[in-house]
Amino acid sequence: MLAAEELVKRFHSRTGLITAVDRISISVAAGEVLAFLGPNGAGKTTTIKMVAGLIRPDAGQVMLDGVDVTGRPAQAAARLGAVLEGSRNLYWRLTCLENLIYWGTLRRLTPRAARSRALELLRLVDLEDRQHNTVQTLSRGMQQKLALCQALMHRPRLVLLDEPTLGLDFASAEAIKTTVRQLCQDGVAILLTTHQMDVAQQLADRLAIIRSGQLVLTGNTQEVLARYSRPVWRITAVEPFSASQQAAARALGWPIEQPTQKDFLVTPPENDPAAIYQLLDALRPAAIRLVERHQADLAEVFQQVVAEEEAAL
Amino acid sequence: MSSLLVAEWRRMLIDLVRYPLETVSMMVVMFAVFAAMFFGAHYLTAAPISGPSLSGVVIGYTVWTLVMNASGFMGYSIQNETQNGTLEQVMLAPWRTAQIFLVRGMMDILEMLLPVLAVLAALIALSGARFDWRPLALVPAAMTIVTSWGIGLIMAALALVFKRMAQMQLMVQFALLFVIIAPVASISGLFGQVLGVLAPLTVQVAVLHAALAAGPGASAALWWESAADMVVWFVGGLWLFRAADRLARRRGIIGHY
Repeated sequence: MLAAEELVKRFHSRTGLITAVDRISISVAAGEVLAFLGPNGAGKTTTIKMVAGLIRPDAGQVMLDGVDVTGRPAQAAARLGAVLEGSRNLYWRLTCLENLIYWGTLRRLTPRAARSRALELLRLVDLEDRQHNTVQTLSRGMQQKLALCQALMHRPRLVLLDEPTLGLDFASAEAIKTTVRQLCQDGVAILLTTHQMDVAQQLADRLAIIRSGQLVLTGNTQEVLARYSRPVWRITAVEPFSASQQAAARALGWPIEQPTQKDFLVTPPENDPAAIYQLLDALRPAAIRLVERHQADLAEVFQQVVAEEEAAL
Repeated sequence: MSSLLVAEWRRMLIDLVRYPLETVSMMVVMFAVFAAMFFGAHYLTAAPISGPSLSGVVIGYTVWTLVMNASGFMGYSIQNETQNGTLEQVMLAPWRTAQIFLVRGMMDILEMLLPVLAVLAALIALSGARFDWRPLALVPAAMTIVTSWGIGLIMAALALVFKRMAQMQLMVQFALLFVIIAPVASISGLFGQVLGVLAPLTVQVAVLHAALAAGPGASAALWWESAADMVVWFVGGLWLFRAADRLARRRGIIGHY
């Protein structure tokens, strides 16, 4: 659906020419969520705006459903919807319904089709009873849900979501995530940028991490998480382990840490799936509450990748 | 193009119906400023303005009000959209940016037309000015508006790149007041000739005034000059706006304020 290749963008500043984006290539297939992550100033927003056609790249090409975004902007715009961070995305003096009809008609729907689509979307995000309220009277969460509806009015094939859940309460954030999942099921491609790693981890099929304008990691979310997971097991008991149980565990001779009296972090010999049972035998008869192998989360992966890149510089 | 027209027409109607006080305030200000000018001039000269001078001032003032909107609205709209954070969404619509803002400029003139005509009727009643109404006068009036859109596109181009330009807009509006109300076309000598060629709208206003005043009307040469002037300003404005659009996208400053 989206194929951005070798994008380069440089900006003039007082200190000279700055390369904000340096030969970045990303792609998103239909029905897929790509989380595009990076620290502040890494080049995420510049890349997203190049994909949207709001910034013209110095080099490279953005193809959206086979349409060149720079060469045929109107055709590309018809395939694209966006919720941009830092923008209101909506007219505050218009009601929810008026806003959606306006944006839909601006995107070439007839007023009747725009109205019907607007009501459908308002039902989807549970804002139907607010359709006649002006945007300025809505909560931040409602405004964000409405901004998403606005981006979906013309049934775009690609949706750009820049910090879609930032500053939202739990229920509103969950509603946005549910809508994103539904869009994917309908075959819409999503390019998501966020600093909320838990949101990215829950939604993304694939990841791309950018730092100082360059891609430093790409891959399938689950594969990346597995790659960064360590062969460390956590054993947590209901009560503190006794001295004899601690001694028995250490007697196995494995690398072992004890963050609290109730927890062990151990690294059993690799390639021996049964090894963990030796430890559990040694801890008998302690009441065990939790046995789990370390599973990296996206926040850890992100921190590690960014730290590695900083060390390499 | 029809969906763009429909979208902007509906938005204009909603705004008009929901916030009527803004229209009424505009009418009151427009009438009050003219009344102050009219009675002020009367007081200063100790003689009433009458005849062709009076009709010139009334027409000039009314045209200036429309010109002020036609030339200022697009730039104001871009500044407003940038400040409110909606400009990027507007520019994601499947239209050329110039098309969108030109249609908005048209809707603004439509929105203005009825209140301005009502104020014009009040001005005529107040001043006692007399006009020879001819349908032909609509042509130079339309040419004046199209020329003003050309100026408006230049202002909008500057707003797209520089964003904050309220002071400059104010300056341009007063400069336009001078070229429209003052009889620039009749200033003799080199200064008058240079001003007549360089200043926008002077020819259109002269043709409009001739079309409304009793007499033979404007010469064919003046009509042609007016049409050529309109094309130059409009096409020039369009060209500059598109160049500013490309520059803003190249510099990545569309959403900046």
